[in-house]
Amino acid sequence: MTTLITKTISKASVPLIILFSISLLIAGHNSPGGGFIGGVMFAASLSLLYVVFGLDYIKSVLNPDWGKWFGFGLLLSVLTAFGAIFFGYNFFRSSIKFIHLPFIGEIELVSSTLFDIGVYFVVIGSLLYIFRKVGDDK
Amino acid sequence: MNSFTVIALAIFLPFLSAATVPLAQKILRHRVGWFASAMAFVSFLLIAYVAPVVIHGDTFTGAVSWLPSVGVEFSVYIDGLSLLIGLIASGIGIIIMSYSNGYMSHKEDLSRYYQYLLLFMGSMIGMVFSANTIQLFIFWELTSITSFLLIGYWRHRPLSIYGATKSLVITAAGGLVMFIGFLILHSITGTFDIPTILHDSSMIENIKNHDLFLVTLIFIFIGAAAKSAQGPFYIWLPNAMEAPTPVSAFLHSATMVKAGVFLIARIHPIFSGTEAWFILVSGTGMATMVLAGFLAFRQNDIKGILAFSTISQLAYLVTMYGYTTYHEPGIGVAAATFHLLNHATFKACLFLVAGIVAHEAATRDIRKLGGLRHEMPLTFIVASIGALAMAGIPPLNGFLSKEMFYESSVEMGAALGFPFGIIVPAIAVIGGVLTFAYSIKLIDGIFLGKRKDEFLPHHIHEAPYVMLIPAGLLSVLVILFGLVPSIPVHNIIEPVTSGILLETVHLHVTHWHGFTPAFMMTIITFVLGLLIYTKYDSLASWQDRLNASYPWISVNYYYDAIVNNARTNAYRVSSFVQPGFVKTYINALLILTIVLIMIPMIALSGDLIPQTLSFDINPYEALLMLLMVVAAIAATVLPKYIPAIIALSSLGYMVSLLFIYLKAPDLALTQILVETLTTIIFLLVIVRIPQTFREKLSKANLTRDVFISGLVSVGVFIVLINATQGIVPPFESLSHYFIEKSVSLTGGHNLVNVILVDFRGYDTLGEISVLCLAALGVYNLIHSRGER
Repeated sequence: MTTLITKTISKASVPLIILFSISLLIAGHNSPGGGFIGGVMFAASLSLLYVVFGLDYIKSVLNPDWGKWFGFGLLLSVLTAFGAIFFGYNFFRSSIKFIHLPFIGEIELVSSTLFDIGVYFVVIGSLLYIFRKVGDDK
Repeated sequence: MNSFTVIALAIFLPFLSAATVPLAQKILRHRVGWFASAMAFVSFLLIAYVAPVVIHGDTFTGAVSWLPSVGVEFSVYIDGLSLLIGLIASGIGIIIMSYSNGYMSHKEDLSRYYQYLLLFMGSMIGMVFSANTIQLFIFWELTSITSFLLIGYWRHRPLSIYGATKSLVITAAGGLVMFIGFLILHSITGTFDIPTILHDSSMIENIKNHDLFLVTLIFIFIGAAAKSAQGPFYIWLPNAMEAPTPVSAFLHSATMVKAGVFLIARIHPIFSGTEAWFILVSGTGMATMVLAGFLAFRQNDIKGILAFSTISQLAYLVTMYGYTTYHEPGIGVAAATFHLLNHATFKACLFLVAGIVAHEAATRDIRKLGGLRHEMPLTFIVASIGALAMAGIPPLNGFLSKEMFYESSVEMGAALGFPFGIIVPAIAVIGGVLTFAYSIKLIDGIFLGKRKDEFLPHHIHEAPYVMLIPAGLLSVLVILFGLVPSIPVHNIIEPVTSGILLETVHLHVTHWHGFTPAFMMTIITFVLGLLIYTKYDSLASWQDRLNASYPWISVNYYYDAIVNNARTNAYRVSSFVQPGFVKTYINALLILTIVLIMIPMIALSGDLIPQTLSFDINPYEALLMLLMVVAAIAATVLPKYIPAIIALSSLGYMVSLLFIYLKAPDLALTQILVETLTTIIFLLVIVRIPQTFREKLSKANLTRDVFISGLVSVGVFIVLINATQGIVPPFESLSHYFIEKSVSLTGGHNLVNVILVDFRGYDTLGEISVLCLAALGVYNLIHSRGER
């Protein structure tokens, strides 16, 4: 079912989709987006690759252990949640900091973004893990 | 150093040294046991260091903050009782760990063995010095767990595993029941702190008059009885004998099983002086004492005899702590405390002898042993001292405390009046007679009589000194405490007794009181004991026959029935709850959801359908809705899977269109992406199975399905129509709160995201954990499929 057209378009679009998913992740605090959506978008773009080029081909090119991704994500989220304890606050207390950088301007640093990055990795890891397991199954 | 630091060190030193045992083993190799016993020695010294505080009748409390939010501290309470058991635990610990150097083969996993022993010792010391019930409970369960590990030390033996499991099931479950008792106690008094309760007589009065008094007492007592193998809970102790013999000597005779007795003594000031206390505690004690003493006859294994004798001797202690009346709430306390110490010495000594015999003669079966007195003269002497002390022969320490037991039984009986004036002393004597008989059996069966060459090795050596000296040391203590009772009595028994009774006590222990009733009872005990001993074997075989013809007479029968059937029963329950048909799950889920929603809807709002309905739908929205209905119908009626799935996912995309129309970009985006992914995964799976789902539905099933879907759609319809009209009065919308607070609290403008990662961070954390588990679950499902 894969034609040259779909192959070419996927090659061009997948990097863009991934970039877009990262921007969704980072911008999520103030405009539409967030770790979950970003993660699902990342997973969707890679599944496009899987479908278009076939599982075996993609695995020979790019075969990360998705299990590690969601493990890392979960760890990051939990650590963020615990982080507040080390500063003497309650579990899960978030913090905001505004930093002024030259040329770029004011940046808002939020601890919950770190948490969101954890979510991002968990979503990517577990979805693609499931996807590949189901697809791999003979 | 103040006393608190010293005791805290004594508690944590064993834990720390347990962690360093593997390191020590690298240096010391098979002599690592000496490291462990040195650590036990340090703990012993630390505990002994605080003894002067307590001997003069004072108590000491110290604490550091631990869980301030629930009012729990790490706190230490030093009084005579905790000191006594702490000294026994560490002192016997030294002896046992030294002895193990000879007993354990060098090929065994020694570091694991000594780690467990040290962990146990630390837990035991921690438990006795605990000043609050939470801490006591934690260390209490730790002793259960370490006991489990030690009984199951030889992991490859099924009997070890059986014994270990049994002890854990019974003692840990008892501990949980005890914990409930502690919580009730907390709800009565408002404190977890034990000294606070002990030193406040109005609080104790309040507990005794409280409605929940009896319940609290029963719950806490069940924990104590399970730990000390009293009443029906005795069954775990005989099976615990699968542990290496030094472990049995340490945990299952001298220390851990004393934890229950310790607890009884600890709560004595709170609960004693009531009828319930006497009936429950002494009643259980007396029944156990006689029964266990009697059942000891049937045992062929020396350790089996010792196990039943331990149960019976612990029952002495329990009985004596239970002797209480309104006027004198502590008749047997001094006697019990003294016997507790004495029992630790002579019983540990006997266990060590059992270990020596098994080590040298390669059997513990008393039918095969005999006549070892020539080959092992020193062991014979040590064993005789231990056994005679247990039998209560003067001038050994067992005689003194048994005499005190008889004395307090007479006193208790007199206080209760006829007919108890006869019954209580009579039961005490029966217990003594049985003890006498099996004590003699031990000596006679192992060392006297004829040597049974057909069962025994040709040459049996005397034990190595590393094993003999620890046992000998204990027998020296037996004699010392017997000849000069004033040493232990003044230094430790008096402070303990006054600590329990909360008043100053002076004891005078001698061998000769004149022709008192207690003396008569002792004479009767010896005579009857010798008489019964002549019938020993026939009584044993009678028990065997009884047990063979009526298996249900034994408590073990019920334990086995429950535990062995646990698997089948669990299977039955889970196959009912988890039948494995997706259809059943979905039906249950849908019905439950609808019912749970409808109940509050009907109960809280007057009308199911709002009186005034205002519909303001523009054509674009209406068209979208119409398409969605078409797609939904298509998904149900299309005869093949793939078109049905496509219809379903087109429905999903239209929902996301609707979201865009309603100005919810986040939701729309999520919906589109999730729809895409699920469709792909769905298709991946579905191409593997037959492509038509035309199954024949029976009429009953069809009716059921139609009923359920009708119910669900009506329910959802009602909910939605209420929600869209904005009239669901009891449920106030939360969104105002989030809209107001989002920027000020979190600095984020995207409400959906802020709710996900900040306001509801806990939920999200739970959800991503579930996601990870789901991924692992898929892995398991796929990989375990072919294995059945």
